[in-house]
Amino acid sequence: MAHRNINMATVRTVPHMTRMSRRMTRRRTLTGLGVAGAALALAGCAQDAPQDTWQPKGDNAQMIHDLQWPVFLIAGIVGVIVIAVIAYVIVRYRDTGQPMPEQTHGKPALEITLTILPALILVGVGIPTVTTIFELAETDDTECIINVTGQQWWWEYDYPAQDGCGGISAPIVTSGQLVMPADTNVLLRLTSRDVIHSFWIPALNGKKDTVPGRVHLLRMHANEPGIYAGQCTEFCGLSHANMKMEAVALSAEDFETWKANQLEAYTPPEAGSLAALGEQAYIANCAYCHQVNGLSTTAPDGTVTPVLANPDQFVVSGAAPNLTHLMTRNTFAGATWDLLTPECRERVWNAPPEEFGALYLQGVTPECLNQVDLREWIRNAPAKKPMYALPSQAANSGGLVRGMPALGLNETQIDQIIAYLLERN
Amino acid sequence: MAIIERPTDPAPVPAVAGSGAPAVVTPSQAYGVLRRPVSSTGWRSWVFTVDHKKLGIMYGVVAMFFFIMGGIEALLIRLQLAGPEGTVLSAGLYNEMFTMHATTMVFLFVMPMAAAFANYLIPLQIGARDVAFPRINAFGFWCFLAGGLFLNTSWFLGGAADGGWFMYQPNASPLYSPTNGVDFWALGLQITGIASLTGAINLIVTILNMRAPGMTLMKMPIFTWMILVVQFLLLFAMPVITVALFLLMFQRSFGATFFDVAAGADPLLWQHLFWIFGHPEVYIIVLPGFAIVSEVLPVFSRKPLFGYRFVVFSGAAIGFVGWGVWAHHMFASGLGPVSVAVFSVATMLIAIPTGVKIVNWTLTMWGGKIQFTTAMLFAVGLVVSFTIGGLSGVTHAVAPSDTQQTDTYYIVAHFHYTIFGGAVLGLFAGFYYWWPKAFGKLLNEKLGKWNFWLMMIGMNMTFGPMHIIGLQGQPRRMMNWTEARAGEGFFNLGFWNRVASVGSFILAIGVFLFLVNIWYTHRAKSNTPKAPLDPWDARTLEWITQSPPKEHNFDKVPTVHALDEFFHRKYEVDHETGEVRKVATAEEILAAEEAQGDKHIHLPSPSYWPIILAFALPVMAYGVIYNRLLIVVGGLIVLLAMFGWALEPSVADDSDYDPPAEGGGTNKELATIG
Repeated sequence: MAHRNINMATVRTVPHMTRMSRRMTRRRTLTGLGVAGAALALAGCAQDAPQDTWQPKGDNAQMIHDLQWPVFLIAGIVGVIVIAVIAYVIVRYRDTGQPMPEQTHGKPALEITLTILPALILVGVGIPTVTTIFELAETDDTECIINVTGQQWWWEYDYPAQDGCGGISAPIVTSGQLVMPADTNVLLRLTSRDVIHSFWIPALNGKKDTVPGRVHLLRMHANEPGIYAGQCTEFCGLSHANMKMEAVALSAEDFETWKANQLEAYTPPEAGSLAALGEQAYIANCAYCHQVNGLSTTAPDGTVTPVLANPDQFVVSGAAPNLTHLMTRNTFAGATWDLLTPECRERVWNAPPEEFGALYLQGVTPECLNQVDLREWIRNAPAKKPMYALPSQAANSGGLVRGMPALGLNETQIDQIIAYLLERN
Repeated sequence: MAIIERPTDPAPVPAVAGSGAPAVVTPSQAYGVLRRPVSSTGWRSWVFTVDHKKLGIMYGVVAMFFFIMGGIEALLIRLQLAGPEGTVLSAGLYNEMFTMHATTMVFLFVMPMAAAFANYLIPLQIGARDVAFPRINAFGFWCFLAGGLFLNTSWFLGGAADGGWFMYQPNASPLYSPTNGVDFWALGLQITGIASLTGAINLIVTILNMRAPGMTLMKMPIFTWMILVVQFLLLFAMPVITVALFLLMFQRSFGATFFDVAAGADPLLWQHLFWIFGHPEVYIIVLPGFAIVSEVLPVFSRKPLFGYRFVVFSGAAIGFVGWGVWAHHMFASGLGPVSVAVFSVATMLIAIPTGVKIVNWTLTMWGGKIQFTTAMLFAVGLVVSFTIGGLSGVTHAVAPSDTQQTDTYYIVAHFHYTIFGGAVLGLFAGFYYWWPKAFGKLLNEKLGKWNFWLMMIGMNMTFGPMHIIGLQGQPRRMMNWTEARAGEGFFNLGFWNRVASVGSFILAIGVFLFLVNIWYTHRAKSNTPKAPLDPWDARTLEWITQSPPKEHNFDKVPTVHALDEFFHRKYEVDHETGEVRKVATAEEILAAEEAQGDKHIHLPSPSYWPIILAFALPVMAYGVIYNRLLIVVGGLIVLLAMFGWALEPSVADDSDYDPPAEGGGTNKELATIG
C-alpha cells in the first residue's frame, strides 16, 4: 500500500526527481552534483505548459525558484523516509501469530528528538524564506513604472509619462499584453476597478492580488526578450477562466520602437476603402466604449469633433480596452483568443530571443489575422465569452453591463469593422 | 446536569430547566393537550428525541446524504474538466457547483459527520448517560438540518451561491453576484453555525463535568481529548464567521457598506474575518479524523497509543497555533513583507505538532501485532495521505513559493490530501470501527476492503495528478482549460486532467461500496450475525456496555482506574517481563457491571421545542430574502418555542405518560433495571 502511495502521490517530488536525475546524470555525465542536478533535471524536463511554475525566466521568479526547489527536495526526502518507515512497520509488525506486544507507552527522549529534528529543518527553511520575502518586496531598484488595472474580465496596462522605461513622453494605454523592456526591473502598480483579481505571470514572478481601492506593487524582470503566459488567479466571477494575460519582453531597442509606434498619430483609412466604411461602422457601434485615440468626425461644415468613448455609461467597471493599436497585440477579449492564426502564433511563441522582437513588432498582418474568432466575437460576444452583457442581467447595476454586449451587426458591417481594425497597428 | 437521578423516596422531581417549583407548574397543567412526546417507538421517538445516540445517528445519516450531494457536485466538476473547453456545465453553473461542493463538504458533511461521532461516542467514552444539555443537543441537530436544507433550496430558487466557498468581497456583493445564492449561503451557514456553537458548548461542559469517577483529564481517551480541542476551536471560531456572515447579510439585504470600496471600506476586511475563522476551521475539520485513528491504530496494533501525552499536548498546541496562521491564505493579497514573514514562520511552526502526530502513530504500530481490518486500513491510509498533504503544506508555508502555488491546482491537491486523506479517511475508519457499537452488526470486511482500496486508489488518482497540474500553472476555479496553455510533454494538462477525472469516478465507486456494505449488512435476509460484545478487543469505556447501548448507556457508570480502562480490566501486564495475560473477557466484565446496576435511572425526556425552534430559523431567513413579514412570523415562533422550552421541566411528569398498560408497570421508566 505504501509503495503504491510513493508512486502515485509523490510523483512530482522525489522519486521522480531521483529517477530523472539518474537518467540525466548519465546523459550529461554530471557527477558529484546530485542535489543540484536533480533540481536542474526537474526544471529541464518540464518545459511544456507555458504557465509552468518551475521555469523561471526572470530574476524574481528565479529567486522564488532557488528557494523552493530545496524545500520540495527536503519535503520529498522526508516524505519518502516517513512512508518507507510506515511501509516497513506494517510489513514487519503485521500479525503473524506473535504474542501480545509489550505495552509501551512512549519514550520521551525519542519523542523530543523527533520533535526537535523537524524543528531544526524548519529553521533551515525559515531563514532563507524570510530573507527572500524581504528581497522580493524591494522596489527601490525599479526603472520603469507600468500601471496594471484589472476588471471583469481583462487587464489594462497604462504607461504614465515618465523618465523611466527609457523615457515616455505621453501616456500609453493598452491591454491584453503587457509589453515591457527585457533585462530591466519594472514596477507594476496593481489595482482593480471592480472585484479582486490576481496578476500572475509565473515565469517572471509570483502572483499578487489587485484589490479595488488599493495599489499593490510588484517587481517584474525578464531575462530575455520573449512572451510569457499568465492568468488571473483570484476567482473574479463568471468569466474568471477567460481572464488571461501575456507579458512581452522586448530588447531596449525594440521597446523604443514599440513605444514610438504606440504614440504615433492616428492615420485615418483611405477614403472610399472598406476600412473607411469600417470607420463609420466603428463610430456608430463601437466607439461608445472603445477609444481609438485621434479618431474624429468631420461635420459637413468642416468642424472636427473628436470621438471620445464613454464606457462608464455602459459598463460596470467603467472601462473598455483601448483599440488604437489593437493589431500590435496578438490577443483580444482578455487575452482569451488570438488575433494571430495558429501558424503565425506558433512562429512568435517559438522564436528565439534574438529574433523575437522583430517578429513581434510586425503585429497582426492581414495574412496572419485570425478571422474566425474575431468575427464570432464581433457578431455575438456574450455567446463566446460568458458575461453579464444582456440588458436583463443589468437590473442590479443600474443598467450597466459587464462585458461586451451583442451588437446585432450584419456580416457586411463586420467585414467593414475588421478592415478598419486591421489598420489599427 | 441533565441526568436526573430520582431519589428513592417519591419526592417531587427536581426541575432544573427554570420553571420554578415543578409541583406548581407541571407539563400537563401548563400545556393541556401538548403533552411531552414520550413514545419510545415510531418516528416520534426520533423526531423529538434528546438521546445523544439517536441524534448522533441522525447527524450521520444527514451528513452522509450531503456527502453524496457534494460528491455528485465534484463529479460534475471533474466531468467538465476531463477535456479542454468542457461544456458539461455553463460558466455560471460551474461557479455554483464548486462553491456548493466546498460549502457542502465542509459545513454539511465533514463538520456534522464529526459531530455525529462526537455526539454518539463522547458520553459513552467518558461513562456518562447523556450529554450535559440534551435538548440543546437536539436543537443543534435540527439547526444543522434546517440550515443545510435551506441552503440547498437555493438551487431551485434562482441559483446557488456562486462566489466560491470563501465568498470574497466585492465579488459576492449584490452588484457582482445578483442572484439570491449568496444570501442563501450566508443565512444557511448562519443557521448551521448555531448547531456548531451549541454543540461545542454542550460537549465542552459534558467532557469537563460528566466524566466517570476516576477519569482524570489525562486518563481520558484520546478521541475525547481531540474532540475537546475541536470544540474549543469551534467555540472561538464560530463567533468570527457569525459576525462576518451578519456583515455580509447586512451588506446584501439591508444596504450596509462594510466591504464597499466606494464607501471607503477595504474588502480585505472580509478576507481577514473569513480566514480567522477559516484556518481554525481547517483543524476543526481534520482533528476529528486524527481523533478516530488515534483510537483505531492502538487497538489494531494491540498496543497503547505511543506518547499519549505528546499526542494530547500536540493536539492542544495545534489548537493554539492554529489561530496564528490565518493570513497564509492571503500571501498574495498584498499584506506587506512583515506580515507575510510572520505568518510564514508561524505556519512552519504548526508543522511541528502535526509532525509529532505522524511520528506517534507510526511508533504506535512499531513493535505491534498489526491486524489489517478495514478500519485499520483506513487509519493507515490516513497516516500516509496526511503525510503527503502535510509536506506539500510545508512547501507553501514558504510564502514566496506559495505565491506561485496559491490558487492553482497544487493547493487543491494539498488540501484534498489533508481533508480527504486526513478527515474523510479517518471518518471511514470510524464507520468500520464503531459500526458494531452503534448498530450491533459488523460491516462486511470483504466489501470493506474493496471500499478502502477503491477509495484509496481513486483518491490518489484524483488528487495526485493535481500536484502536477497545479505546478504546471493551471489555476483553480476555472470553468475550463485550453489546449493553448496545456503543454505537450509528460506533464501536459490534458493527460493529467483526464487521469484525475477517471480517478474521481473510481473514488465515487469506492464510496458507493460503503453504501452497498450498509445495505448488505442490514438487509432483511442478511445472515450477518449480531456483533460480539467486543469485536476488536478494544481499550476504551464505550465497549463496556451492550451494542447498541441501552438508552441510558451504562447500567452502572464504570469507575476508571487507568487510561485504556477496558484493556486493563481484560489484561494483566507483567511489568518485569512485559508479558500480557488475558484475565477476563468482555462478557464477564459487562456481566459484573450490570449485576450492580443502578436501580433508578431517569433520563431527560423528549421535547417538541428543539425542532420547532430550529425550523423557525429558516422561516426568518426566507423572510430576509423575500418578505420582511416572514421574519416576524418566524420570530414569533422562535419566541414561542423559547418560552415553551424554558417552562418545560427536563424530565416528563407522570401525567405525560399513558395510563399503565395492562399487566402492571408503566412505560415511564425509560430505563428500568432488573
